[in-house]
Amino acid sequence: MNKVNKIKSNVRPICILVGALGGQGGGVLVDWLVDAARKAGYHAQGTSTPGVAQRTGATTYYFELFPEKNLQKTPIFTFFPGSDDLDLMVAMEPTEAGRAIERGFVTKFTTVISATDRVYSTAEKVSAGDGRINIVPVVDAIQKASKKLVQLDLTALSKGTNARGNAIVLGAIIGSGILPLTKDECRDSIKSKNVAVESNLAGFEIGLKAIQNNNSVNSSDPDLIFEKAPSAFDEKITLFPENAHLIISHGINRLIDYQNSDYANFYLERLKKIHNATNSSDGKLVSEVARHLARWMSFEDVIRVAQLKTRPGRLARIRKDLNINDQIPLKVTDYFKPGREEFMGMLPKSISWLIPNVGKLKKGKGISLHLPTGSAFGYGMLKILSSFRPFRAKSTQYKEEQKIIELWLAAITASANVNEDLACQTAALAILARGYGPVRKSGLDKLISLFNDWDARLESDKNGLSIEVDQHILLAHSNPDAT
Amino acid sequence: MDGGTAIERVNLGGERSFVKEIGKLTMGAGEEFHGEGILAVTKALLQSGISYVGGYPGAPMSHLIDVFAEASKEILEPMGITYEQSASEAGAAALLSASIHYPIRGAVTWKSVVGTNVASDALSNLASTGVTGGSLIILGDDYGEGSSIMQERTYTFAMKSSIPLVDPRYDMERLVDLTEHCFGISEASNMPVFLNMRIRACHLTGSFITKENKIAQFNTNNPVPEQRYDVNKIVLPPQSYHHEKAKFDQRLPAAVAYSKENSINEIFSGNNEKYGIITQGGTYNVVMRALSRLGAADAFGNTDIPVYCLNLVYPLIEDEIIDFVKDKDSILIVEEGNPNYIETQIATIIHAQGLDCRVHGKGMLPMAGEYVSNVVREGVAQYLAEEASGATGELALEKNSIINSNTHKAQEYLPEPMPVRPPSFCTGCPERPIMAALKILMKERGKFHISMDIGCNLFGSLPPFNVGNTVLGYGLSLASSGAVGPALGQSNVAIMGDGGFWHNGFTTGIINAKWNKYDSVLVILDNGYAAATGHHKLPSTGMTPKGTPSLLSIEKALRGVGVEWIKHVDSYSLEETINVLREAMDAKDKGLRVVISNKECMLALQRREKPAKAAALKAGQTVIKEKFGVDEEVCTGDHSCMRLSGCPSLTLKKSNDPLKETPTAHVDETCVACGNCGEVAHAAQLCPSFFKAQAVQNPSMVRKLSSKINRAMLSMLGAQS
Repeated sequence: MNKVNKIKSNVRPICILVGALGGQGGGVLVDWLVDAARKAGYHAQGTSTPGVAQRTGATTYYFELFPEKNLQKTPIFTFFPGSDDLDLMVAMEPTEAGRAIERGFVTKFTTVISATDRVYSTAEKVSAGDGRINIVPVVDAIQKASKKLVQLDLTALSKGTNARGNAIVLGAIIGSGILPLTKDECRDSIKSKNVAVESNLAGFEIGLKAIQNNNSVNSSDPDLIFEKAPSAFDEKITLFPENAHLIISHGINRLIDYQNSDYANFYLERLKKIHNATNSSDGKLVSEVARHLARWMSFEDVIRVAQLKTRPGRLARIRKDLNINDQIPLKVTDYFKPGREEFMGMLPKSISWLIPNVGKLKKGKGISLHLPTGSAFGYGMLKILSSFRPFRAKSTQYKEEQKIIELWLAAITASANVNEDLACQTAALAILARGYGPVRKSGLDKLISLFNDWDARLESDKNGLSIEVDQHILLAHSNPDAT
Repeated sequence: MDGGTAIERVNLGGERSFVKEIGKLTMGAGEEFHGEGILAVTKALLQSGISYVGGYPGAPMSHLIDVFAEASKEILEPMGITYEQSASEAGAAALLSASIHYPIRGAVTWKSVVGTNVASDALSNLASTGVTGGSLIILGDDYGEGSSIMQERTYTFAMKSSIPLVDPRYDMERLVDLTEHCFGISEASNMPVFLNMRIRACHLTGSFITKENKIAQFNTNNPVPEQRYDVNKIVLPPQSYHHEKAKFDQRLPAAVAYSKENSINEIFSGNNEKYGIITQGGTYNVVMRALSRLGAADAFGNTDIPVYCLNLVYPLIEDEIIDFVKDKDSILIVEEGNPNYIETQIATIIHAQGLDCRVHGKGMLPMAGEYVSNVVREGVAQYLAEEASGATGELALEKNSIINSNTHKAQEYLPEPMPVRPPSFCTGCPERPIMAALKILMKERGKFHISMDIGCNLFGSLPPFNVGNTVLGYGLSLASSGAVGPALGQSNVAIMGDGGFWHNGFTTGIINAKWNKYDSVLVILDNGYAAATGHHKLPSTGMTPKGTPSLLSIEKALRGVGVEWIKHVDSYSLEETINVLREAMDAKDKGLRVVISNKECMLALQRREKPAKAAALKAGQTVIKEKFGVDEEVCTGDHSCMRLSGCPSLTLKKSNDPLKETPTAHVDETCVACGNCGEVAHAAQLCPSFFKAQAVQNPSMVRKLSSKINRAMLSMLGAQS
């Protein structure tokens, strides 16, 4: 029987939970801490749950350190974080900090150091709309739920260096002063690992500095940039409600880029009809239609894709993305797979049948092209394709798209007479006109069948129609595999 | 095998290197070992004088096998220790047969409960005949958070075969000590012994003082002088009846006697002897943390509440239990998992003794699930509130309710549930395109049922692919499709990794399908390794884990049993893969059709190529840096590509264009340029957004010149390049 000393100590271990995704280096981070603690003469324990969770999934690492040295007895460490017991929660991704709250590990007792860099989950990515969770209220919740939130924009902090996120976070942990470990003990720990020592030390210093002058990071989306239309359009724009001006101006610019000024004027004429049909003056419907119409009217046909792929700055942008200077030879290969529909779509209807229905051009197939657009040859080919712009209006696809746009506009106009909200919803149906090939075809088919008996249904079954429209829009914004 | 010859694959080594750990394994007396729990156990084996060791890798005990593989020449061979990574857990368990007649110690290891299932035939026979030399089975208990398997107790195996089960308290000194004692228990009782290591315990870090490694009396350098024969060791009637009797008359009582004598179980006395806690060794630390958070103990284990810690959880030591409970009004039993065998046994003992002691257990703690800190704290708080008199109970209740209220306050701020994030295929994984191909085929010909196997391939059952319907066990996918296909009026369709193929798939799946004339399509994903567990060697990798060249061919094995329809695909060529799969599905009259994808695991490929590329770059050689990209302006943001690719590097980016309603696709810097996204866009005719960019670093003079000319021409065409 073990007789023990009954005088209880009041000192508790310092507890740190690390939430990360497999591959983010959370394990190495804890190894550094364990090693530094041992070098400093503290009892400490790290543990993890490796296994398949480490293959890109969410995983945690847990660390405890007893903040007294030269002990008579070994402190008892445990493997699991406990509620209201964490001194520090480190998240390599902000929703992992959210998850720690969800699991009850973060309270007013806990400091949170969180990366701001989102790594979207599969669930967020597979939605056909914007499936991303809104991170702003999550960050707000972390702030409110915790003792203190320190945000690290790891991408920005590591810019121009080889530093990895985990080393930066180690610096921030030590800089926070939560652990009784010195900077040098951590530097030694990095050195003794003998892996990527230089870049990890650099990361460590970045983290140390970042926590000293921590400003909260705005993790919301980039601001929208509205382009200004040529001044010749100013007068025409002022005829529309003021809060639609920005988007209309942007739309005009887009369509000039896409085709020409006449086409932009055509856009304004179409908008005018909508403006006249609506009774309300808040400009909501006009803005909605202006946005969708500009996007739809600049539908991505072969000519447009060729134009976008030969933007003068494109190759330079790719260089920047690859982080290479302009002396390094660059090869760019584009993946095209035009099918029979695309080739027919390019031609006037009267001769489109000339495209044979055989071999790779048989229905549902396509010709796989790997076009070297980084070479003068490939670039030139696309440039030639894009120069077909003046003939666009003769193409089968152009006619087909315009026909459906007209059906859509007619449906909006008809709806506006009945109910402004329904008109706005009808405008939003334009999301179905997106994508390429089979995806686009199925969306357009849905629209055609919907607009087929629009007026009749508007009269006889307004509510049913409204519900159906809502369903289409909801579906277009969710994960089609889930239904 | 593309992208890695057998030699390259072996020289690559496992995903984690143990060079540093090997040095620690030879530490002599009085040195301080610092490292992972499972490696401390490994050192304890060497200190115990083992003659052989084996196992089958899997989380959380793979490191034991890996470190021995790396240390085999330096440590094992000089000590005369036989080592093998067996073809399955059954093979590893069968190694223990060496200790039946001969006084030699040995240890084997695997992931439990699944590995124990596979090994159970050998284990039952071994437990019946009994052992002479100490036999240890180290179980990596994959239970609770981070587990990849069904949640069951290993305890059942111990009970049904009467194998003593040690569930050690996690203090590294004690862990090593108990591991050494396992051999003592085994030799005293003539039974093999289970040492149960929890998932987090395998990877905890800590220190202990080492002893000199012990060379076994008999080893490969000094063999046992002669073979022994004894009919009493054969599991056949009538001996098997004697074996059964001996288990309960002699062997288990001997295990109890040894354990009592050596204080395997521990009592930590408290201030109040009217109540107490009985816990498994593995949950002792969690119980102590709960007590300390509730104000009834400190961080060093000084406690008000007496605790009886069961390091030997089977068999129970009746005398010790009676001693512990006899003056108590009540006890709480902290026993993880279900059924609550320990609680039931203790209640029976108390009842039989006519003691007046209330037994709490599953009534205060959850019936199932991992006993993590919060769970145990709630249970202990409830116990103290109900049973502990006065201040202790009140303090516990108060502290517990403060913790809970603080926690709930924090949780209420969260606006919505966080997205789930299960594991998935890594960036560039060659198995991903197979899943995309199957999903595209399902769009083409309607959904069909697919039987999946154990390993990375199982991630195909998860979003975004959702193409796997069932999983039944390692190597069992094809066998498990046997009655499904006919029931659905389709061919049997099964996916199997190379690991599953060699583990069980060849005999149970292929031979069975061939013999019973299945109408089957089997896709074998031969990526060169048991990749999910950390790039463990397989018979088709090219060498044994020790580095002995030894290559078995999956295709030859198939042909050897008469499989004729075999086609290989390069999974990164998605259209070709789809075509071959379609052909296999359509060849209904051809019996078993096997499609083999043999692209190397991308993680392994990257581990080899990254340093090679960096070195080449440094040496001034031409190196291509490549990556895929998406033209934001071309992408219309419907995310069809995400639903067919699922690549971690293919992600979302919100555009600043007001006309883009949804975020567009974006390839981030983790891309390894496998090309799957472009292939998917092609195969499903999604869009022309994807491009491949290749930078030629350290270009040759000719390349430089041609690039210069190209750029001049591009500039004439109006491009800034």
